[in-house]
Amino acid sequence: MAVILQQAINGAVLGSLYVLVALGLTIIYGVLTQINFAHADIVTLGAFSAYFFVHGIGGGYIPGIGVAFVVGGILGFAMNAAVFAPLRERGNELLPLIATIGVSVTMENAMLAWFGPIPYAFDSPYSNDVIRFGGTFITVHNALIVSVSALTIGLLYAFMKRTFMGKALRAVSQDRETAALMGINPNQLIMVAFVVASALAGMAGAMLGPVLVLTPFAGTSVIVKAFAIVIIGGFGNFEGTILAALLVGLIESFTTQYLGPGMIDIVVFALLLVMLAIRPTGLIAEERDENV
Amino acid sequence: MSRPAPVRSAPVRIRIGPDWQRRIAFLAAAGAIAVLPLIATDAYWRTNLIVCALNAMLALGLDFVLGYAGQLNLGQSAFYGLGAYASTLLITKAGIPFWIAFAGAVAFSGFAGVVLSLFAIRLRGHYLAIASLGFAVITYQILLNWISLTQGPLGIYAIAPPPPIALPGLPVINFDNLANLFYLVAGFAFLSYLLLDRLIRSPIGETLTAIREDEVSAASLGINCGAWKVFAFGVSSTVAGAAGCFYASFVGTLVPDAFFVTESFTILAMVVVGGMGTLIGPVGGAILLTVLPELLRNIGDLRLVVYGVAVTLVVLFVPGGIVEAVRLASARLPRIARRGKA
Repeated sequence: MAVILQQAINGAVLGSLYVLVALGLTIIYGVLTQINFAHADIVTLGAFSAYFFVHGIGGGYIPGIGVAFVVGGILGFAMNAAVFAPLRERGNELLPLIATIGVSVTMENAMLAWFGPIPYAFDSPYSNDVIRFGGTFITVHNALIVSVSALTIGLLYAFMKRTFMGKALRAVSQDRETAALMGINPNQLIMVAFVVASALAGMAGAMLGPVLVLTPFAGTSVIVKAFAIVIIGGFGNFEGTILAALLVGLIESFTTQYLGPGMIDIVVFALLLVMLAIRPTGLIAEERDENV
Repeated sequence: MSRPAPVRSAPVRIRIGPDWQRRIAFLAAAGAIAVLPLIATDAYWRTNLIVCALNAMLALGLDFVLGYAGQLNLGQSAFYGLGAYASTLLITKAGIPFWIAFAGAVAFSGFAGVVLSLFAIRLRGHYLAIASLGFAVITYQILLNWISLTQGPLGIYAIAPPPPIALPGLPVINFDNLANLFYLVAGFAFLSYLLLDRLIRSPIGETLTAIREDEVSAASLGINCGAWKVFAFGVSSTVAGAAGCFYASFVGTLVPDAFFVTESFTILAMVVVGGMGTLIGPVGGAILLTVLPELLRNIGDLRLVVYGVAVTLVVLFVPGGIVEAVRLASARLPRIARRGKA
């Protein structure tokens, strides 16, 4: 029983990390119906910027998360300005996707040349403190991940539902042309979506750095799961994405416990393919059927 | 009385001209394949030539499904790996002769392509890209974790080259010789090119292009889009599987890392840089992106950046790849030359 509870906690921690990455993908998909493969490298660069802030300059870990948030936002702005904005006019569906694969390969190998393939030891000051209750435990770092993630989701919700910009973003997601007719500038909002999504990714990177192995490929291992999450949850759907992220986190921790870590990707992607076969609109279906 | 322009002669010329030109181009390509190992006599460049031929096969296969049928398939690395592992396991574990194992492995990867295409029938665009990516991830993880069959990360070693061919009246052709192995692989790459060229110039090519351009309109013309997607995926994965068989017998060792998802991105880069929706483009892209990093070997890890930068710049500035660049240049150069003379 204690094992099951412990794995449930571990799964929730992983889910809280994945949800930040997956929500970014879903926000971008919502406004642009495009996938950003380079999202993975924004996660990795967020992790590295926090690492160098903490271990290079000697800054605190919590401000380090803020640094990664800002770095991610800047990268998102650059990504939109350099790749997505110029390609938007062409109206081809696959070209932007292929371009982001190119950007991702470039960034990954540039980081590999710069930082080397040897994993960095990113120590969080909170990794060694443990909170115990009953037979289970959670490190303070993991508790931090869950609370930061929950807080971020709450703020994101408030932003989307309460502020004008958030409402405008949802309007653009629902119908770009009509939103433009109502005086909303879609190009500006797409930029905002990219900045918000990438800032979340950078922040996720800073928090997963101490949990996973920090190498130039750290983001890639997360992003494939994030892709699975957004599809299982339904692209462009917030609630579905959050639910699917927790589900994938739990699957990962229980698969590690009962089937071995080698089976994680097989189980997650088998679930993805099954979902695509029987319910391609995701767990919570939305009126969005152009891809299925 | 001025005579109108001879409108009718134009199509006739188009039909005869390129066909005749194409035959010469094919002969020239065959000649180039025959001559290349004689020019590149050291083992290093002969190895590179074989890698070029393998990559050309992979790129041709992907281009058929991406450039013509318009389906972004990121699972090409999986079919490559399935071909390699299936043939090697058939030879080493079941003791089946090379060419029968080759046929079996090619059929197996073709079958895997058909299985993936069942998703392509229902999904489009990004969903298919991610589904095929998932397929590639699952295949890689199975190769890595099914240790009793594939020996996982330890890999399979000492895979024999294809057996010698002894034709009556001719000296025995040994494939432990790099030049002969190149002839074999390049011969198959050339054969794939000819077959795909045949397919594309038949009504099938137009059918696939119609699906790429607008699936709904294509369906309204009575095209069974699903069936043709299955066909395109099957052809594509068959070619990749054949490349995998040759890869295994050429390199001699198999590890799952050779068929990681990034290999799909590499193949995609070759197709995009060369020119999607043409056959000569991916071949050119495969050769360029195989040789260029070798020439840049002294810049170390940064050489792989070349792939990423090339793809990004091509998509942003010349989406038609090398083929479009050459076409634009050949249209402009004579004009510039004339201006220079005047």
